[in-house]
Amino acid sequence: MKKLLVIIRREYLGRLRTKGFVISSLLGPIIMIGFAVVPGLLISMKTGGATKVAIVDLTGKMYEGVRESILRSRADEGLDGERGEQPSSVAATPGREAQLRRQASALLGSHYEVEQAATGGRSLEEIKSELNARVRKGELSVYLVLPEKILAEGRAEYYGRNLSDPVTTLQLRRSLNRAVFEQRLREANIDQVRVRELSKEIELETTKVSEGGLERDSGGGFGLAMFVGLFIYMAILMYGQVILSSVVEEKTTRVSEVLFSSVKPFHLMLGKLLGVSLVAITQYLIWAVAFAAFTLYGVGMLAASGMNVPLPRLPLSFAVYALVFFVVGFLMYATIYMLVAAMVTTEKEAGQMAMPVIFLSVISIYLAFPVIRSPNSSFAFWVSIAPFFSPITMLVRILTETPPFWQIALSLGVGLASIVFFVWVAARIYRVGMLMYGKSASLPEVVRWFRQT
Amino acid sequence: MSENGVTLALTRVSKKFGEFVAVDELSLEVRAGRIFGLIGPNGAGKTTTIRMIVNILAPDSGRIELFGQQMSERLQDRIGYLPEERGLYKKMRVGDQLRYFGELKGLTRREAETRLDRWLERLKLSEWKTHKTDELSKGMQQKIQFIATVMHEPDLLILDEVFSGLDPVNAELMKDVLLELKAERRTIIFSTHMMSQAEQLCDDICLINRSRKVLEGSLREVKSGFGRRAVALRAEGGDGALRDARLVAGVKPYGDYLEVVLAEGADAQELLRRLVEGGARVTRFEQVEPSLHDIFLQQVGEGA
Repeated sequence: MKKLLVIIRREYLGRLRTKGFVISSLLGPIIMIGFAVVPGLLISMKTGGATKVAIVDLTGKMYEGVRESILRSRADEGLDGERGEQPSSVAATPGREAQLRRQASALLGSHYEVEQAATGGRSLEEIKSELNARVRKGELSVYLVLPEKILAEGRAEYYGRNLSDPVTTLQLRRSLNRAVFEQRLREANIDQVRVRELSKEIELETTKVSEGGLERDSGGGFGLAMFVGLFIYMAILMYGQVILSSVVEEKTTRVSEVLFSSVKPFHLMLGKLLGVSLVAITQYLIWAVAFAAFTLYGVGMLAASGMNVPLPRLPLSFAVYALVFFVVGFLMYATIYMLVAAMVTTEKEAGQMAMPVIFLSVISIYLAFPVIRSPNSSFAFWVSIAPFFSPITMLVRILTETPPFWQIALSLGVGLASIVFFVWVAARIYRVGMLMYGKSASLPEVVRWFRQT
Repeated sequence: MSENGVTLALTRVSKKFGEFVAVDELSLEVRAGRIFGLIGPNGAGKTTTIRMIVNILAPDSGRIELFGQQMSERLQDRIGYLPEERGLYKKMRVGDQLRYFGELKGLTRREAETRLDRWLERLKLSEWKTHKTDELSKGMQQKIQFIATVMHEPDLLILDEVFSGLDPVNAELMKDVLLELKAERRTIIFSTHMMSQAEQLCDDICLINRSRKVLEGSLREVKSGFGRRAVALRAEGGDGALRDARLVAGVKPYGDYLEVVLAEGADAQELLRRLVEGGARVTRFEQVEPSLHDIFLQQVGEGA
């Protein structure tokens, strides 16, 4: 037992002190934030000042409405989904949401300058050629032609130098759409306020019925289970290789023979698994703290500027379960790398080894779907007990209809037992494999070794 | 240490890998405080035997007793094993590495620290303590490995080709250390192909060939019990005596002397008398024992 601790300490501290660990611990959060924020910023960021829009209004009555609508348009519309598309947003949505959006749009800095192209009795062709010239010179970004029958036919023309800017095109289309819609209502003498009232969408308020009574559930829980699954997977991709090379290193340097004359192979393998896993967990904790700090800071900032961002609320027990299943899941998948490492003699030969890991984790994500639909079926029960699948499926069950505690305990127990079993198998293969010099094992050989002591 | 002074006893130990018999009914005894030479050609089963002794492999049949007890994990801490293929972590600092190996043999961190300092000093490696192992020369790594083997003060040391890769100065240093350890009543099993080293160091010998024991005993017994006796002779004249087939089995010229192999049952004194009677001027007449090298060649060669 004491020797196991010695092995764990070497694997853990030895790796913690490496430059690689320090760098990735620091860089991780920065990259994470970068991935989350930068693409959004980039796409909604309009460089080079305002977008200048000219409008050729052939109806003679649309210009004011369209101008209003464009100036009111929101920077986030281009990124946001359906909402803007729906007629319910005839005018700016009232209340807090509108306020939020205005702020966001101010933050993201997208705005327009709108002018009316003077018709002055000229033909449309003349006006267009003049505007085209201005666009070419860069005085104008875009001009829109509103034909006389725009209300009836619903067609307008868009001329611009850059048609592949999706945000501008989309925003102008929506703004125009809105203006036309309002104009149509006005001409049909329908009260806009009334329309807004009538077309208001319903909101589904979800409440979870569990043993503890009624709870509000934001429904984000499922995503969270997937998140844990994803985290296990990411951790494995990063640290599976570390486990692999740590085992293979001892083979190639032949340290293993010295080690085996001092400790049991099982202790050696278990020590490695736990040591490296602790490194992974430490790294995740560092990231989690950084991420939490960043989130809280961000939310605080937004709150200070008057925005109220709702944080998903989850019971603490779930956080604990998520952590426990993350650890168990990581260890379980890590044993696959351990088994492989026991069989091969060089790291190169282990190249394909991410395959079963990807396979199993993808399957368990698929299995999660039927489990959500009927979390208490016997299918769900078995799947949430089975090793490799249990981390994700059991978490999904805990979130949907929390199963009795004995089932959770059983799932964890089976998970831990399978970890010990696989480490034991790996240790056995490792010991025999080490004694055969310089070649990797074929499967029948492994089976044969396994029978030998 | 058990009372009868036997550190290690193997009784009819066998080990097979599939169809291949690596060790066949091997029995041997290693006595306390002695240097025991385990010799034999490549593939004879030495390494397998050693691995069974250090509990890396379990025998298929037979018994291995260490310090009078059945082999077990607990006893592993009382053994120091230097495998033929050296193994050190390349990227680990020398000090960290030795501390780790010491701890794995049951030392506390502090014990390991003081001992490794003492050994590094003794083997003149102190300034390398904070260097990474792969910055060291092969000979230095060899000494580091040796420290890892002895720092927990094992009662039984198993050294496989301990001198390989050492220059004469370091080989001499190593030999001194081994004799010191022997003086501390530690038992050493010494496995090698180099017969001259075995001859210089070993008290007892066991020769293995083709997974079986061929010879065993103290170096003296082995040599004297060995059938072939020879005389180193430098003489002028007296050729007649050398041609007598009842006395002489063969003559080999060696530089300025002849090696005369005596016939079965012949007496060296008789040969000397005949030479002198024959009028020869004898300037050297010395009964020589066969070297371990000769014994090895003859025994292993016979089997081939």
